[in-house]
Amino acid sequence: MKDTQAIIERVRRVNPDVQHLELAVDEALTRIKPGQSLLVRVAPFSAHFTEEHWDPYLREQWYPVNMVNNKLVIERPTGTRYEPGQIVNAMGLIGQPIRFRKTARTVLLLAYNTPPTALLMTIPWLLGNKIAVTLVLLGNAVDYGTQHLPPEVEVIRGSAGTEEQTLIWPNQVLTAGWADQVLVVVSKDDERLRFKRVMDLFENMRREVPKNYLFGVFQPTLACGIGACWCCALKMQGMEDKLVCTEGPAFDLTMMDLK
Amino acid sequence: MSVDITRPSKHMLTLTSPVMPAAGILGFGDSYRDVVNYDKLGALVTNPVTYEPWSPAGGTRIVHLDAGCLVHTGNPNPGLSKVIGKYRDLWTMLPVPVILHLIADTVEHVRKSASRIDSEDSINALELGLNDDITVDEAFRFVRAAVERTEKPVIVRLPLQDAYAIAETVVEAGAASLVVAAPPRGTARDKYSGQLVSGRVHGPLVLPIVLRVVERLVKRIDVPIIGAGGIHSPEDARDYIRAGAVAIQVDSVTWINPKMLEIIGRDLGGMVVTRESGAFPDEWYPGMGTTTHDLIQGKESKPKDKK
Repeated sequence: MKDTQAIIERVRRVNPDVQHLELAVDEALTRIKPGQSLLVRVAPFSAHFTEEHWDPYLREQWYPVNMVNNKLVIERPTGTRYEPGQIVNAMGLIGQPIRFRKTARTVLLLAYNTPPTALLMTIPWLLGNKIAVTLVLLGNAVDYGTQHLPPEVEVIRGSAGTEEQTLIWPNQVLTAGWADQVLVVVSKDDERLRFKRVMDLFENMRREVPKNYLFGVFQPTLACGIGACWCCALKMQGMEDKLVCTEGPAFDLTMMDLK
Repeated sequence: MSVDITRPSKHMLTLTSPVMPAAGILGFGDSYRDVVNYDKLGALVTNPVTYEPWSPAGGTRIVHLDAGCLVHTGNPNPGLSKVIGKYRDLWTMLPVPVILHLIADTVEHVRKSASRIDSEDSINALELGLNDDITVDEAFRFVRAAVERTEKPVIVRLPLQDAYAIAETVVEAGAASLVVAAPPRGTARDKYSGQLVSGRVHGPLVLPIVLRVVERLVKRIDVPIIGAGGIHSPEDARDYIRAGAVAIQVDSVTWINPKMLEIIGRDLGGMVVTRESGAFPDEWYPGMGTTTHDLIQGKESKPKDKK
């Protein structure tokens, strides 16, 4: 874990809702792997403590989506304005890399009611290892612009309608059946409830969900990001609680207590 | 420098610095070891522990507030025995005393926990966290149960809203010192779920509220008082000392700027590095550690990863 300063070198709007920041970071942070993130405070700390501003208070969690020339590409919504040359405080690395099965040939990424940002860093790695990627966008995520994604990624958008209907997408059984591994992100409003719905859906499609197949990528608001505050503790089945910030963010949904 | 943070007794606790983390901020001592220099602190106060394991709270745990946050974790922990078993070796190696924060849930659990802690050499003192809305009678029984079962100092963390009402009773029951106070409780709407969430409020606005309570309690109580709440700079910490507190506990600013805990520790512990003549402004800052200083001067190799 390292608390460092980073510089925003370039800001690029990739579609109406999303901008990409090229972030020059400390060498230690360039070792980031898919699944890991940074905790960032946009206003740098001053040596004169009376000048500090505490709004926003907690650090923001920034997910890299790629690395170009040793610079992290960070995806942020377009609502906040960033300037090239802006210095931020970046603490990392947060979490553990996502582990893929050695035999994986097709991976399904599923974003339910939230942008797929936390999953995108896996795409260059998966494509580089000749693993096919399908991205399914469900609920609010159907509006997410995918023009900036590599053309090799198959993008499927779900249907609109009621809560139950948003969990339906074309060729649902086929895509779930082909996938060797599935990674899911859901909206922050109630992660446990939404992961439960996804789990129920896959249980209906596959009758029994095998271990090391369906992973939830958890994105709770983090306070410390270092395993101290236990704000991100998750209840597991028959084992000790796990912390998203140090042992996550990806957990096998079959091992979790989602009740 | 030495600071007595408990009242005089056979097992009184004396620290080399009046600065320590508040309960629930620094984990059990392992999390921040790469980021915070423990040498500059007075003690380590652990995360809240219960006699039996507690599960994490469901639903929203953190709500963003203007200049602050509301936290509702449910105090998840694996239980006293597992915590001691897992962290005993680490605590023994730490350069600072360890104060274990125990949640007062039932009198029987407090009694059993105090007995267990009494026989544990790696723990130097017990901090008993009293619930909000506690009655005077309950507070007396909780503290008495702990004091009767351990010779180690029993520090009591008071709930803010009941601090005036129970402080004297708690001292009468045998508290070695008081932590004033636990973060206040509040309710706020979570913007993601739209639901109201109750929890503890952290932020700079807590400081003036607690500072007033400390000022008034110092005049009424004759045991040492440790100020806690809303400290975000060395100046804030000094305000508590001026108000009569013997020591301070730093809370949520550690999550945002982990170095601030060490900066405050250096400042109140009289360990601020003096700026060398000829040093550029960016080569010096008030909380600069000797390691960072030596790194810049090229006197020391990069610290190895302790993990």
